Amino acid sequence: MLATFEIREPDYGVLSPAAWPRLIVIILGLLSVVYLLQSIGMPKEKIEAAPRKTMVEFILYWRNVIAVFTIFALYLAALPYLGMLIGNILFCFILLTVLGGWSAILMHLLIAFGASGGMWLLFTFVLEVFLPRGSLTGV
Amino acid sequence: MDIFLEALLNIIDPVTLIYMIIGVGAGLMAGSIPGFTIAMAIVLTLPFTFSMPPAQGLATMISVLVGGLSGGLMSGILTGIPGTPSSVATTFDGFPMARNGEPGLALGIGVWSSFCGGIISAILLVLFAPQLAMVGLEFQPWDFFMLVMFALTVTASLAGEHLVKGLIAGAAGLLIRTVGEDDAVGVGRFDFGSDYLLTGFDFIAVLIGLFAFSQLLSDLRNPVTARNALSDRKQVKVKIEHRRAIGILIKNWVVVIRSALIGMFTGILPGAGGSIANILSYDQAKKAAKDDSSFGKGDPRGIIAPEASNNAVEGGALTPLMALGIPGDITAAIMLGALLMHDIVPGPTFIKDEPALAYSIYIAFFLASFIMIGMQSGVLRIFVLVTRIKTYVLATVILTFATIGVFALHNSIEDIWTLFFFGILGFVMRQFGFPLAPMILGVVLGNIAELNLARALAIDADPMLFFVRPWSLFFAIVAVFSMIFPIYQKHRDTGSLLERLFSPMVLLSISLPLFMMGGLLRSTLAMAAIAVSSVVLWRRFGNRPKA
Repeated sequence: MLATFEIREPDYGVLSPAAWPRLIVIILGLLSVVYLLQSIGMPKEKIEAAPRKTMVEFILYWRNVIAVFTIFALYLAALPYLGMLIGNILFCFILLTVLGGWSAILMHLLIAFGASGGMWLLFTFVLEVFLPRGSLTGV
Repeated sequence: MDIFLEALLNIIDPVTLIYMIIGVGAGLMAGSIPGFTIAMAIVLTLPFTFSMPPAQGLATMISVLVGGLSGGLMSGILTGIPGTPSSVATTFDGFPMARNGEPGLALGIGVWSSFCGGIISAILLVLFAPQLAMVGLEFQPWDFFMLVMFALTVTASLAGEHLVKGLIAGAAGLLIRTVGEDDAVGVGRFDFGSDYLLTGFDFIAVLIGLFAFSQLLSDLRNPVTARNALSDRKQVKVKIEHRRAIGILIKNWVVVIRSALIGMFTGILPGAGGSIANILSYDQAKKAAKDDSSFGKGDPRGIIAPEASNNAVEGGALTPLMALGIPGDITAAIMLGALLMHDIVPGPTFIKDEPALAYSIYIAFFLASFIMIGMQSGVLRIFVLVTRIKTYVLATVILTFATIGVFALHNSIEDIWTLFFFGILGFVMRQFGFPLAPMILGVVLGNIAELNLARALAIDADPMLFFVRPWSLFFAIVAVFSMIFPIYQKHRDTGSLLERLFSPMVLLSISLPLFMMGGLLRSTLAMAAIAVSSVVLWRRFGNRPKA
């Protein structure tokens, strides 16, 4: 966790545009060192207070978060093919069902159609914002 | 007087009034939907105003603006997700108060604070526009740069005991903003050969990801509570408690006026807008409170401060726009676009040359605040139903809306990826206890800081100028003290040396740049600062043997 803040990114750029990012990275590096020292100096009881989790417990604990990330990534990957109308309805419905369970599936379907469809109508016809069409579906 | 009448007739024209009511309503709803920013709502209003006369078009846009500024508090208080970046600090106390079963009171305080903030700033805009703008005119690139640094350190110090984490977050925010072509020369940075990275992250997508997406994920983390409604109580108080709210506001009138003044001043500074003002004035309200332990748990002052200030910002942002032609923030910049659309170029002579239009802006500003109060209850009735919806349903629907909203910013799917990545980053940072506010501030102010640094060094390469110029020195000094502040707070009431030295040292230090600025008023202020600090020092140290 601490080490992630020590990563120094390579600088692409010539002298002047590179100066500002370099300054920030230097400050960030210094702050990270301070943070690291503070963490090392922390009393041991505090660190060991957090119980260790097994892999399975970890996944169970974070299962909703992992589900959102996975479904969102799949949705984004599928968006160019499905288009925003169908993509958003599917995304909304699947996410609702995964998070809320199968029992309220009809309500989820209604919400997905109502919310995504309504927004789509509003943007397409009222605000006239062009929303992406799917290459497979054409809508 | 004739001009005033002409302006008044411009505004109370029935068609204009209808546009203004629609505008306020649209602004309220837009402001209340996270991911649908005020700036975006105003940009979308712009095309509708093409065909209107200038005064009518501006009145409509001001209505959207005032509505939007007040709409942000609804979602901030009821869901914990700020509807706009200007209401970030409102969630700190508004959301806990709503959770404690008083959403009606929290909303009432928010609405009336917004109203007071708007009215106070409108009065100040009319009275002091030229004088106040003169202060901002003195600022040079050095001063702007230091001001941004001050804003960052003060936000980091808001994170309390985690100053280092706050500063890391702020620096990381600045770094995120450097991705893409730099504003000065156009050289690609951190693009790693990708066209998407070369254009830089859209900062609204970044903000929605960092704050909203990560907040939604935190809400969803626990599978059991995710299936509950946002409000545990079956009976949600839908009614705004106007009387109690006004009572609390009158009791805390100092906070109202101070926050409105902070908002006004922040608005005047070009580039600094509601997103800074609400956090700054929250910070000030917290610092000024004798007992700040209730902050973050539903303290009414924590709602008054950000809401009074974010509505006051627009009065401030319009001041340099009308007096100098320099917009005070993004929304004012869009208003500038609307003026230019009608071939009106605002400058130092704008108020003199176009008095009717200038007065129309003033009147529209006042009137929109009244329309806002009248409409808030109605729109709220629709919005408050949202609290009865289950958390996971609301979160999913908001996420779906956010994807469309983010897409609509630039018609680009890449922005949704930005939303996704920064959602993950924000969530991880939340889990490790990093405050997000400094990071968000870093992202928003990053290019302002860099541009001014570049300008300053282009004028004169001597870095010492940052500490020799009076305003720059002033901001540098307050920045340093804002970093010491968390340590001071820890030592409060312990009678330590730091506690007794802190406030007199602040006064003594700022008297130096005040003297350097010259002029009778500032020299007098500096003398007063020295006198007060001497008295405090003498009391704290001189009397010691007797005690």
